[in-house]
Amino acid sequence: MTEATATQRNDDRPIGGELIIPVAGLLFTGYYFTTIIDSPWTAQVSAVFVGSVLVVLSLIFIVKAAAMVRRGEADFGMRGVFNDTDIETGRHWLLLLTIAYILAVEWGGFTITTFVFLMASMLVLNKGRRPAFIAILAAAFAFGGYAVFIFAFDVRFPIGPFERLMRWLMA
Amino acid sequence: MTLSLDLFGSLFLHELSLWWVILPSIALGFVVGAIPGFSAANTIIILLPLTLTMDVEVGLAFMVALYCSSRMGAGIPAILVNIPGTAGAAATPLDGYPMAKAGRGQQALAISFVASTVGGLLTTILSIFIMPWLAEVSYHMHSVEMIVVMLFGISLIASIAARDTLKGLIAGFFGLMIGLIGTDHVYATPRGTFGLLELYDGVPLIPALVGLFAVSEAFMIIEQRSILTDKGLEVLRAAGWSATIEGVAIALKRWWHITWTGMVGLVIGVIPGAGAAIASFVAYQQSRSFSKTPELYGTGHPEGLIAPESANNGVTAGTLIPMFILGIPGGATAAVMLVVLQYQGVNIGPTLFDQRPEIGYGVFIIMAVTYLLMMLTVLPLARYMPRVTMVRTVYLAPLIISFTLVGSFVPRDYVFDMFLGLLFGVIGYIGRRTGYHVAAMLIGVILGPMLEQYFLRAMKMADGNLMVLFSSNIGNALWVALVVSVMLPFALEYKRNRHRAADTA
Repeated sequence: MTEATATQRNDDRPIGGELIIPVAGLLFTGYYFTTIIDSPWTAQVSAVFVGSVLVVLSLIFIVKAAAMVRRGEADFGMRGVFNDTDIETGRHWLLLLTIAYILAVEWGGFTITTFVFLMASMLVLNKGRRPAFIAILAAAFAFGGYAVFIFAFDVRFPIGPFERLMRWLMA
Repeated sequence: MTLSLDLFGSLFLHELSLWWVILPSIALGFVVGAIPGFSAANTIIILLPLTLTMDVEVGLAFMVALYCSSRMGAGIPAILVNIPGTAGAAATPLDGYPMAKAGRGQQALAISFVASTVGGLLTTILSIFIMPWLAEVSYHMHSVEMIVVMLFGISLIASIAARDTLKGLIAGFFGLMIGLIGTDHVYATPRGTFGLLELYDGVPLIPALVGLFAVSEAFMIIEQRSILTDKGLEVLRAAGWSATIEGVAIALKRWWHITWTGMVGLVIGVIPGAGAAIASFVAYQQSRSFSKTPELYGTGHPEGLIAPESANNGVTAGTLIPMFILGIPGGATAAVMLVVLQYQGVNIGPTLFDQRPEIGYGVFIIMAVTYLLMMLTVLPLARYMPRVTMVRTVYLAPLIISFTLVGSFVPRDYVFDMFLGLLFGVIGYIGRRTGYHVAAMLIGVILGPMLEQYFLRAMKMADGNLMVLFSSNIGNALWVALVVSVMLPFALEYKRNRHRAADTA
């Protein structure tokens, strides 16, 4: 590929990302229809109407996108959704840390898991700068959250070793 | 007993003497309203042991003040960080957040506070006098009429889609399709649940709200230093009390807008099961339809902020009317209040207003007192709260993600709901990146299941005859109003274009 062609590619509208939602809509509608085939009409009627409209709209968009690519006005690139800023900002790490946070919170409980998540994600996003400040901030919010929501208002937050220990100490 | 001026005056002074319980309740209401996953109803339930030990009037003052202020509290994070605290505030960020990003957070909060308090106060006072007639509304609103009311809200999708029709409609219908996940309302047949028991009750609202707005926003904002634009940062740094006063003036100048959108909320609030989410979407859609500048909606237009805020506070008085007159609570918080009142031995019904006016009328007077006290106490918040938008996103984004996802956990105690919140966050992020409006998606998720429920009920009662949709006079009048309100913006635009053409000629 020549440099000129590569530049041209980058100037085109990256329509691949714009296709994610219509394609997801099509796939989900297809799956949804399979779950209602043998159902009574009450379970089908709304979905058939809404799903059919969604399928038609999505197909129109996909056809329009294909026509734009054919005319050379767009390409199927995903730059609109995934690009270098994800790496520069640490967005992909934030996503992974969020998944880890949800997985860990069930057994780690709110306070400890939130402290670790806040500390790790703030450090990643801040490129490792100001660790002491971040540790204080993460601790203040995690333990402050515990004090307000779990201790004071007894809200149903995820419970873990710290919360159990505190409950035992205060019993 | 009719409400004489003497009785009104003595009740007002009596309820004002309960300021010591109303003020802390207002503060608590702000907090629980602002945090997704919490609500006035949850908080009253959590604090039930305390409420039940209170004197009935003190308990009522506590519950009512908490209820009113939680509505306003939900709008604060919606404006400042694009996180609606409850579904009732889901239409607030459409115009509130663009104002905050532009450094006009003070004005936006002041507008929201004035619209909420004035809208709430006016509808409360109005409720006292027209309560019996309003209670009749809930008698006449059946499934058919409710379908049309829902369609008023859903037609907002078309308005949002105006900028990119195809993408807007795809987002809206995708949301509606997601809203149809779960068992059907007649035979409880599971649909589109991926075999997950957690989805049998449908898609829970808080994870959808949190994901589409808050989590997706958190992933977006980390590209910038703060939520504010560079110009916005300068504007906010330079802003003083004058910005708050400007916001108050902007709102008060639109007093009629506050009044009629509050009325929309009041009427919808009276209908059991309708609620603040429908009211705020309907009010926003109506406000846009009748506006001379509909193209400004979604860009930080004061009227787009006033409409949902005034309407969702109008709902507050509305939900209590069928409860006190008919014994039918208009919403979840009203239902909890009903339980407390029954525990205290208060007999709900029309006779309450004769036998115990201090409770029947008193509850609305407490509401009026709450709004008056809120007016005096909240404006300083407008001055200083927008500072949160100056916080660096490297700190703000993780805080938003962790606290809102845990907020998704609270209503059902499921870690699954946190994953759902993240999934909606990813969908919202992709939508934002590629020009699909997340608000259109959320309207579908919130209103879709309700529309289906009323539609199926109507169909079931009419043995599947679609003509039932046009079988009632009120319903038919609402259909006409719906068609008019959908067509009106096009007619006005056509008229404006003709005027412009005539002017240039």
